[in-house]
This record gives sequence, C-alpha cells and structure tokens, in this order.
Amino acid sequence: MNRVTGFDSAPVPRPSRARFVAAAVIATLLFGVLAGRLFQLQVVDGARYAAQAVAARTVEMPIRAPRGLIFDREGRPLAVNTPSWTLYARPADLPSADGDRRAVLARASLLSGIGLATIKERLEAFRGSPFELVPVGTEIGRDAALLIAEDADELPGISVGAEPRRSYLDDTGERQGELLAHLVGYTGPVSRGELEELSAAGYLRDDVIGRGGIEASFETELRGTYGSELMERDANGRPVKVLERLSNPIPGKNLMLTVDSRIQRIATETLKWGLEAAGVAQGVTIVMNPQTGEILAMVSLPTYDNDKFAAGISAAEYAAYLNDPTKPLRNHAISDIYPPGSTFKLVTGLAALDEGVTTVAQHWPTYGCYQIPDAPAGQCLFDWNHRGFGPLSIVDAYAKSSDTFFYQMAVALGVERLGGWAEELGFGARSGVRLPTEAAGTVISKAWAQAQGRPDVFTGELAMAGIGQNAIAVTPLQLLNAYAAVANGGHLMRPMIVRGETDADGNLVREYNPEVIRDLAASDADLRTMRIGAREVVTTGHATNIGQLRVPGALSGKTGTAEFGTPTSQGVLPFHSWFVAYLPSQAGATDADLAIVTFTYSAVVRGNVSLEVIKYFFQEYFDLDQDLRREFQVNAN
Amino acid sequence: MSTTTATFVEVAKSRRWRAFDWQLLLYLLLLVGFGLVMGYSANYQAIGGESGLSQTVKTLIWTSIGLTLFFVAANFDYHWLQTFATPIYLVVLALLVATGLVGTNLFGAQMSISVAGIDFQFSEISKVLMIVVLAAFLASRRERIGRLSTIVGAGLLMALPTYLVYRQPDFGTAMVFVAILLGMLFMSGAGIGWLALLGGVTVAVAPVAVAALQEYQRQRLFCFLDPSADPQGACYQVVQALNAVGSGGLLGQGLTAGRQNQLGFLPVQSTDFIFTVVAEELGFIGGMILLTLFALLIWRVVSVGWGARDAFGANIAAGLASLLLFQITVNIGMVTGIMPVTGIPLPFITYGGSSMISLLFGMGLLQSVRVHSWKPTF
Repeated sequence: MNRVTGFDSAPVPRPSRARFVAAAVIATLLFGVLAGRLFQLQVVDGARYAAQAVAARTVEMPIRAPRGLIFDREGRPLAVNTPSWTLYARPADLPSADGDRRAVLARASLLSGIGLATIKERLEAFRGSPFELVPVGTEIGRDAALLIAEDADELPGISVGAEPRRSYLDDTGERQGELLAHLVGYTGPVSRGELEELSAAGYLRDDVIGRGGIEASFETELRGTYGSELMERDANGRPVKVLERLSNPIPGKNLMLTVDSRIQRIATETLKWGLEAAGVAQGVTIVMNPQTGEILAMVSLPTYDNDKFAAGISAAEYAAYLNDPTKPLRNHAISDIYPPGSTFKLVTGLAALDEGVTTVAQHWPTYGCYQIPDAPAGQCLFDWNHRGFGPLSIVDAYAKSSDTFFYQMAVALGVERLGGWAEELGFGARSGVRLPTEAAGTVISKAWAQAQGRPDVFTGELAMAGIGQNAIAVTPLQLLNAYAAVANGGHLMRPMIVRGETDADGNLVREYNPEVIRDLAASDADLRTMRIGAREVVTTGHATNIGQLRVPGALSGKTGTAEFGTPTSQGVLPFHSWFVAYLPSQAGATDADLAIVTFTYSAVVRGNVSLEVIKYFFQEYFDLDQDLRREFQVNAN
Repeated sequence: MSTTTATFVEVAKSRRWRAFDWQLLLYLLLLVGFGLVMGYSANYQAIGGESGLSQTVKTLIWTSIGLTLFFVAANFDYHWLQTFATPIYLVVLALLVATGLVGTNLFGAQMSISVAGIDFQFSEISKVLMIVVLAAFLASRRERIGRLSTIVGAGLLMALPTYLVYRQPDFGTAMVFVAILLGMLFMSGAGIGWLALLGGVTVAVAPVAVAALQEYQRQRLFCFLDPSADPQGACYQVVQALNAVGSGGLLGQGLTAGRQNQLGFLPVQSTDFIFTVVAEELGFIGGMILLTLFALLIWRVVSVGWGARDAFGANIAAGLASLLLFQITVNIGMVTGIMPVTGIPLPFITYGGSSMISLLFGMGLLQSVRVHSWKPTF
C-alpha cells in the first residue's frame, strides 16, 4: 500500500471477524425482537388493542330531550322553549399570546355585545379543563350569533351555541312571567351539590331542573328521557363524529294546566286593585271548580317574574326578591298558614249539626261577651257585635257571623270532635295539590296543647278555635277546598293544577282524572243547611252588599277577619280579611262550578278588603255593568 | 479534468465514483421518502392537512440540505477529519455548553438553539461529530487498543458531552452517546474483559442516573414495565401508543386514516412516536418494510466498515452502525412497550431537521469512507 495522500494510512489490523459476526448476531437478534413484538401486538393481539383503542376514544354522549311545554286550560302557551344563543370560549383554543388573546376576546365582545370585562371575568372564574366550553355570554341575539359564526376563522376558541331556553308567557302571549310565576315556576341550572344525587337519574353537569311551581313538581314529566349516542372523540375530548345512536330521546310531556290565564289575569288585577286601595302588601286569590277541584286561578301577591330566572337572573335582582319582607318568591296561597277567622264557622257549624250538638231549629242565646265555662266570673270572650244578637238558630248565627254562638258550639263539641271535623274537611294536612312547598296548617288537638307544654287545651282556646282563631291556622287553598267540598255536596277533592297532557299545539290528548280525597262524613241535610247558611250570609247577613251583584246564580259565601299583631298608632290592631264564595244555581244547590277565596294580609282599613276584591272579580269575570266597590277608610277608634 | 465542469457521466466514470455505494443511497432515499409520507400523515388531521403539508415542505428543505451535505461529505476525503479531531471535540463541547446556556425550552428541557428561525438541536450533530472524534482517538490507539487505558481514554472523552446532554436534560441522547462508545470500542477491538467491566460500571451507574432524573422523566421511564399503572398520567403515551400499534393489525388502517393518530391520541406523533403512525396506518406489513429498510441500511454501513482501508474509517462505520441500531431499537422498542420511554428519534423518519441533516451528513462521511477506500479491481 502506497502513501498516496500523506495521511496516516498504515495498514490496519483487520477488525476481528469474530466481532463482526457478534455484531451481526446482536443486530439480528434486536431486529428479531422488534419484529416479533410487532407481530405479537398487531397480528396476535391486534383485535384486543383495537378494541381498547375504540373504547378509549368513544364516549357515550347524551341527547337532550326537549322539555315539555306548558299551556293553560284554553291552550294558550305559558312556558315554551325558544332558541337562545350563548357565547362560548374554549380556553385551550384561544391564542396563547396575551396580545392575540386579548384581540380575539375584544372582537368577540364587540360582535356579541357582551362586555369584555364580563367575558374575562367568566373565563377567569371557570374551574375545569381548558378543553371545556365556557359560557361567557348568554342571550346574545340571533344576528350577533350569526356574525360570530361567520367570523369563526378570526376567532379561534370562540363559538356560539343555540340552546333551547325557557320563555314564560302571560295570557296575551307576551314574554311576561309575573302573571303565573308561582304556578309555573321556572327552570334553573343544576347545582354541583344536587348533581351528585341527580347524575344517577341522567342529569348532566350543565343541565337545568325545575325550580318552583309546575316546573319543579312535574319535573319528571316535563324533562322527558334523554337519549344517547356513541361518539368518537379526539384526545382533547371534543366529539368528532357520531358512531351509533344508542337510544332516541323521548320529549318531555306537554302539560295543560287547569288554570285559565284569562281568569288568572282578572283575579290578579282585581286583587292588585284591592291591595293598592287598602294599602295592603300581601294577598291571595284562588279560583276553583268545586266539582272537580280544578284550580282555575291562583294568585299570590306580590309576585316575581319567572322569565327573569329563565334568562339567568342577576345576583342583585335575586337578592332583592329574597330580602323583600313580603316574600314575593313564596306562594302564599299554599306555603303560608293564617288564622281563618269566621270562615272557619263552616267547620264548627257542620260539626255541631252532625254531632247533634244543635238542630237546625234550635235557638241558642248569644251574648255581647261569652262567659267561659269553668273560668272565673268575668272572664268572657267578646262577640264582634258587643251588644249580642239575642237568640239565634245556626243558619242565622252563621249569616250574622255571631261569635258567641259558635263559642258555645265549640265548647259543646270539645277538642276531639272539633279537631276531628277540621281534619275531615282537609285542615291540618297538605291537600296534595301537585305544587311544591305546600304547608299543612294546624288544627286544635290535645297534642297541639301538649306541644306547648300544657296538659290540655284551655276552654277559652277551644271557644276561640270555634271561630277560627288561636289554634287554627290554614292555607288559603285548604279553606277554599273545604268550602268547595260543602258546595259540591260533600266530596273533598284533591285540588288539581294540571288538567292533562297535550300535543305540541296545546290540544288535550290525555286528561287527568279528578281525585276525591274523601267523601265527607256529614249528612246531606247538614251540608245543605250550611250551604243555606252561606247563601243567607249574602242575602240577609254579613255580606249583603255583594248580593246585589247580578251574577248568574245564588252567590253564597262567608266573610272572615282575624286580628293579629301589634296595634297601629291609632290603637287599632291590623287584621287579615277573608272572603270565600261559590256560585250554585240556587240556594243550597250542589252544582256550583265556581268557587273563590281571597285573603288579604294585615289591613288597617274599615270593611273587608277581600270581600271588595271578590266583588270586583265577579264584576270583571261576568263583565257586569255594576260597580259596587266601596272605598276603604283607615280604621280609627 | 476539472471537477467543477465534470458531467455526471464523467464523475460516475471516475475511479472515485465507481466506488460510490448506490445501494446505500437508495436505502437512504427510500427511508427519507417513507419518513416524508409518514410525517405528512401524522400531521394530516390539522385543518385541511395544511400544516401537514407545511411540515412536509420543511422536511423537504432539510432533506435537500442533508443530501447536499451527504454529497459534499462523500466527495471529501474523510482522512482530513482525523487531523481535526481535537478542534471538532472542542466545537462539540462548545455547542453543548451553549445549548445549556441559551437553549430554548422544549418539553421542559433546553435542547435546541434557534438559528435563523430554525431550531437546531446541537445534540444531534454532536452524535455524528463524537463518532468522528472517537474514531480518531481509537485509530490513534490501534497499537494499544486492547489496553485498559484505551477504554478509560475513550470513556473520558465521551463522559463530558454525555454529562452535558444529560444536564439539558436529554437522557435519550446521553444514552445514545454511551451506546456509540460501547459499540465503537467493541468493533475497534477493545479488550473484551475491560469492555465487560465498562458495561458493568454502566449498569451500576444507571440507577444513580435514573434517580437524578426529573420526576416526569422517571415516571415515563418505567411505564414499559406496567403501562396500566397510570394510564391517564405518566403512562398515557405508552398506553395510547400500544393501542395505536395494535389497532394497525396486519395491513393497517390506511395512510391518514389511523384514528388514534388523526384524533390526536399520540401526543408527539410526528416526532418520537412516529412509528406508532406507521404501525397504525400501514400495519404489520408496513412496519416490517420499514424494519427491513433499516436492516439493509445497517448492513450497508457495516459492509463499508468491513471494507474500510484504515481503522479511522472502520471506526466511523462502527459508530454510525451503533447509533442507528441503538436508536432504532430503543425508539421502536419504546412505542411497542418493551423499552422505557426516552426522547430518542427514529432515524430518517422522525420529523426534525437536526436529526435529518446530521444523519445524512454522517452517511456522507460513510460514503466517503467507502469511496476513499475503494481498490480498483481492474
């Protein structure tokens, strides 16, 4: 070998052949292992790995069922689903550079009309995977949504989604929730705490659930059943395509309320007038068909706007509702209990007749002040009429609302029988109307006294209970329902709020049957006596003024007042006033298909505010050309 | 004959180019082509395949640079390099120190330096340069090759760059350095007993090195033992890679049709985990074709070493063969779950300019060894 290049190119000892062979063997072994491993993974176990891969990238996604609609009994839509556009940001897809990110958010803000600060705030408040969609603006409007969708290329990480949102309508079809808020309720997002329980029932993290009213109590029916489909997702969890529909969603049932929104409107406007005229803050009117227990209207004032809740109520507005002393979020018609006052004489009277304490013909003395038996002389309970009425039969006593007559009946009945009859007529127990947060109320009983640490009820308490004071506390609905039971001939009906199910246009396709809680243990004759009494109230008794209304039928009813609380500066106790009425074809008949109760809370004016409200209601309801309303004067002794 | 005006035919006819290993070039081109196609597919799922294309364009540019370097190196007499071994060594150290100081952060490690807008990982070129340095050292010690001092010297030479890349931290490249060292010592005829001792020391030191690793590296490392230990966390890549490889079956799901790949379940599918795309989309058959190409390439590299005229050339071939064999084995072993997960690229297939250019330059050197060793037989 010549030195041709000048470099060190002395002959080399040949590399050992053995080492080349060894290297070849090692290389061959390594390649063999790799090939073998590939064969094992791909050919032998390929199917198993493929199945694992499929399982890892497929996910069962729910398909939401459209929520059932709510109509009134005439088919007017009250709760509907309207598309609502939400602005979303997916943090992971937003530009990572601060400047670019700000520019994208600013553009999204400009197009959507949602403030940049709000968007940033919601993004920062979000705790979760950056691959999730964060709703940063709701109700952005259709045009804005379209603009943003068109501009998708310029807005990485920003998207809009159309979601059905609940809209609540009034009797005219306007988006106005105040008319029926307590009945219809509203939907709201499921909270994290609730989700733990609800997820088993198929609720999703961003799901809604009924809050209050029918939306809550008929949640199962309205929600329907969500379907599901198998989707392929990418590594970031974004669904890419549908692989298989597993089950179809079953839409929620559309419900028809028993309520007629036109009657609800009249009941609302007339009650509003009464409260305003008398300077009263709270009141209730309920209208019912006594034959079926169907609630035609249920008004609790003040009310709230459930449509605001559907749109996402602001914290300030919600706090204002919560802190309002008149409790606008509560349905006073069923959730609060009040002393029924003289309206309760129906119970005492019916019990006295049926238990044989008195006959229809028997006359009892009445007093200016009733000496409580077993009590020291001079301890007496006043009649509202401090002069007394002289001897009265039960019908006259009921018509004139003599307190001392019914003190005597109550004392003669005793605690057990009076309490028992109160329960028979539905007091002291929830009526079972399918609305949330119904109160049970209290009736007189030994247990009631013992709960207050006394061995038994005082006789004076028993006498007071006979005129609906003291131990007795009822919901307006219970009171109306008891009168309805007497009016229809003795069937205590379960108050109905939903009439049945409808098609999407509000045509009834399945009617729910009225339900009888119990047939009263009273005789037809005794029930008829009480109906006659109620008619007498209007014709000769305590409420003759309303009897002048030319309504189609023999209006019958009963007034009630209950003093309570602390006296005004004039030394006058504020009082609740009641009027409960029903309209049979003639005195004593059982064919009334309209019953109404009005309750007004804490008035300090002369007269019965509730009676005036119902007067006004009938004027409007029957479109009478009469106006018998009285003006209220502040009561001063 | 002026080389500047030489026609291809004249060049081809020249004595030097008769020795040119056309097979080697063919396998390289096939591998590069394979890599291009897989790189395109790996990035296809991005909107409209647009970014897949731009990566492919980049790879084409790098490949052009690499092939230019390949031909320059092939034409250049590799013997010159032997005299520059010391400066080359210093350059390697300087590059690695510079990377440690100003390198940009890549997956938590300082591994690259941006030059003219292109991130360049000097650890890739330092692999090839260290082969040259070691080849020169071992050639200079060919009379005393069997002595312990040879192994100690080579070990010390390699220790510094190994430590520097380990600190970046780039555990994978550090292991490649060690593999090159062992492979070259073995092929150059180092004392087998001493070599065994060095191997023993390496094994003994390994736990210390592993213990000093970052937590995330250590977790990833042990996933191959039991990927189901933490399928959502550290072992996520391994679990997804196994699913992807297995899903490929015999024939694969077709180019750009691998669901694991296209849906992004393979987090670094165009780089270290590119083989999962090959396996998922081209199946066992595709994988075997790639393995065969690698085997043929290594066979050509070893053949050049066998035919080398001097120890320096033979050592270069040994180093390159060690590099290829180690990286291929560890990378494919890693994605098939029989090797720990370390950031080692698959030669010519993994997307990345540094690796591509460095390897093609190395193959150019090998071609030079071949060309400048060829003895005419006529």
